[in-house]
Amino acid sequence: MNDRRRINGPAGATLAPFFDDAAPQDLDTRSTRSRPPNATRKLLLKTGVTPSASGSAYLEIETSAKPGLSGLKLSCSVHGPRALPKSAPFSPHIVLSTHVKYAPFATQQRRGYLRDSSERDLGIHLETALRGAIIADRWPKSGVDIIVSIIEGDQDRETSKLQGDEVWDMMNTLSGCITVAAAALADAGIDCVDTVAGGVAALVQDADDGSAPSIAVDPIPSEHKRILAACCVAYLPTRDEVTNLWFRGDLPASDLDLYTSLVGHGIQASKNANRVLIDCLSGTVG
Amino acid sequence: MTTTTPPTLAIPGQLLGPASRYQPGPGTHLHESNLHASLVGQVHITQPARALGPAKRLTKITPAPAPAELPTLSVTPATQLASAPSREKKKREVLPEVGNVVLCRVIRITPRQAVVAILVCGDTVLEAEWQGLIRVQDVRATEKDRVKIYESFRPGDVVRAEVISLGDQTNYYLSTTRNELGVISAVSEAGNTMVPVSWKELMDPKSGLMELRKVAQPQ
Amino acid sequence: MASSQHVLLSPAELAYLHASLSLTPPIRPDGRSPTQFRPLVAETGILPGTNGSARICFADGTEAIVGVKAEVERTAQRPGEETVFLEEGGAGGDGDDEEEEAGQGLDKRKGDASWVEMTVEIPGLRDDDSGTAFLAAMLSEALLADGEFAKRLWINRRFHWKLYLDIILISPPLSYPLPLLSLTTHLALLSTRLPRLKSEGDEDPFFDDDWAAAPYLFPRTTSSSSTPSSTTTKSPTPAATRPPITLLVMAVGNNIIFDPSKEELAVADVALAVSVTGLSPSHETETGGGTAGEKQTGRNLRLLSIRTIDPPSRLTAPGVANAANTAYGASNGTSNGTQKMAEAEAVEGVWRPPRGGAKRMVLGALVQKVLERGGVVDEVLDALEGADSG
Repeated sequence: MNDRRRINGPAGATLAPFFDDAAPQDLDTRSTRSRPPNATRKLLLKTGVTPSASGSAYLEIETSAKPGLSGLKLSCSVHGPRALPKSAPFSPHIVLSTHVKYAPFATQQRRGYLRDSSERDLGIHLETALRGAIIADRWPKSGVDIIVSIIEGDQDRETSKLQGDEVWDMMNTLSGCITVAAAALADAGIDCVDTVAGGVAALVQDADDGSAPSIAVDPIPSEHKRILAACCVAYLPTRDEVTNLWFRGDLPASDLDLYTSLVGHGIQASKNANRVLIDCLSGTVG
Repeated sequence: MTTTTPPTLAIPGQLLGPASRYQPGPGTHLHESNLHASLVGQVHITQPARALGPAKRLTKITPAPAPAELPTLSVTPATQLASAPSREKKKREVLPEVGNVVLCRVIRITPRQAVVAILVCGDTVLEAEWQGLIRVQDVRATEKDRVKIYESFRPGDVVRAEVISLGDQTNYYLSTTRNELGVISAVSEAGNTMVPVSWKELMDPKSGLMELRKVAQPQ
Repeated sequence: MASSQHVLLSPAELAYLHASLSLTPPIRPDGRSPTQFRPLVAETGILPGTNGSARICFADGTEAIVGVKAEVERTAQRPGEETVFLEEGGAGGDGDDEEEEAGQGLDKRKGDASWVEMTVEIPGLRDDDSGTAFLAAMLSEALLADGEFAKRLWINRRFHWKLYLDIILISPPLSYPLPLLSLTTHLALLSTRLPRLKSEGDEDPFFDDDWAAAPYLFPRTTSSSSTPSSTTTKSPTPAATRPPITLLVMAVGNNIIFDPSKEELAVADVALAVSVTGLSPSHETETGGGTAGEKQTGRNLRLLSIRTIDPPSRLTAPGVANAANTAYGASNGTSNGTQKMAEAEAVEGVWRPPRGGAKRMVLGALVQKVLERGGVVDEVLDALEGADSG
């Protein structure tokens, strides 16, 4: 099994000693949030990027650390409506199938080519969010595939540590997926009751001194000391309805107001994303 | 509602007008007695056709006429308007619906049915291929029990048919019982395009041989 | 897809069910009250080869088994953290020990989400089915939400327990299996014990052979005589929390219905899975200064996670009103006609699959109802505790 053709290094690899003379405060590499707590990051949304698909859209979110650099990059393509496979049972509705896939190079840790459980989980969340938005009975006996590729994940390259932020990153990713998929669905000409967009809000604690946690919209995990709870909302603005709500964290049940205002801020973030979505769609007709 | 005229362009969810003044057409939906758009595109208002003759019903008692002749609002996707020529080919997918007249090609026949591929629905060429089925009892309106599929269709024939049902999981059910429905183009066993001579016969003009088909009335 | 399995109800049946569930009070097909759960049979400690196990059988015939297995695993060292050098740790690491004594008050234990591996198996569904992935994600999300659970698995800085939770639904999924799986997991975790640690510091872990001395993963405040483990005493455990439970709640009209059966879920306007955890009541009396009134109001609940479940009602076939039915003389024909038919106003008594999402008020009311002090969650937790001790 040994590789004899090359001259390999010694078996027990070690890190070269590195003497860090920098001042100790440099260790805290967390950048701080420069936006106001109720401001979302800038979005770029474009439809009709994949000519071969029935509908497609591309979304980019400004990065956190250095303004101007992109953070999240998503591309979504919608195929269909098309005939269901012969084995599928009769369906009076359109059958949605959603696939969310990280590109292998999208995150700090390489992703495999097969979808892992977190990607499947995102797919189900996306399906729930979209199912409420589309008018399914307009397209009987047909199926539509919605494929979201995450080209670049929303992660801060500056931080070397993995702080267990992946779960919070997932929420940001999901909200982007919802917005981009809604744009692609509209581009494909599939009937929707409304334009659905995603928004994230989190309860964050920035200081260690036990100060009261605050609510931040569109949070970037690496900018905050600790995230206590977060929610991702898929919201239909004209109908004032929520198609998907995903909350996780740790909140005392006695403080329901905190939960309500967290969801309210999530909806606010979703409304911001929706404005971009509507601008983008109006651009395609006008 | 103070809105007097609906907007010219619409985004899904956008309010178009009250349901008391407009009828919902394609690309719109009703929500809380208001019409909202469900597609991105241009809004069209179609005035109702006034000179609508009395509905011909032989076996049924026609119900009370439509409550009011309201103009129909519809939203059509404006992909044709998109300036880029590369996107011109992109059309909105349509589905065969009950009542549509479709053009299809016969794929295979069995004694009970003919399996066809639906190619054109109304005036639109379909992008996806949908499978249809003409059952032996739906070939013609009279003498249904004497119909033989192999005397009506052959694989390769192009057939005009009407959709009568969404059918089962894979097939739309089609019918050719009307005069103007049936085979519109076929080639003979010798490989020549045939011409219709009667409602059930086609002739090969080269060899003069007759072949049996359920022939569509030429229009 | 577990939630959208085919519902074999006609539009007329759906309309009837929806109407009866929207009454005040709602009339459920099996005669339960809105907050009542289906009767269940539960037992714990059924699998001797596991660290903890439980079985629950619902009255409708669905049955689940959960086995919890724990293995010692070396903690992966990440660059950037205070690295423990293996030589030092193996030699007893005097420098480390001092450091540890100095930081006694601080909670040095760290947890990682990858220390818990949860698999859900449902007969008839593929292993990689998205529905099972969603269920597993939901259950483990609730478990890890507060970050405290993973800390319990900390042995020392070099080793941790890796917990494998294998959730198996034995019966075919007759109803959406989430509540059943969650309750069974809760019971199995309650009965989970880990061997008592005998080694100290960062040396290779070494455990007590005596299974009777093994402490529970979730320490029982009632049986305080059991020897507390070194892992739990090393740092102050913030609260005697219980494993979380995930409840399925749905709304029909203005009614909130707990633990819906498959048929009830088929007419739901919105369905939510809400995960909560409660402090055990005896612990609360300790903190609450032993006031009896405090205890009676119920547990201190904490909200851990909420997920929207795609209700299968959206995939049901719509009913056709008489006015639009060709059999009753409605005009049939052009495609325009069918379009009009599809976009008719809702008719009383004709089933229409819900469109769009849920109002914020409804979602808020659902969550509020779950989190009510002394409400359903308390009843369920009480019942489960009884099942565990009995």
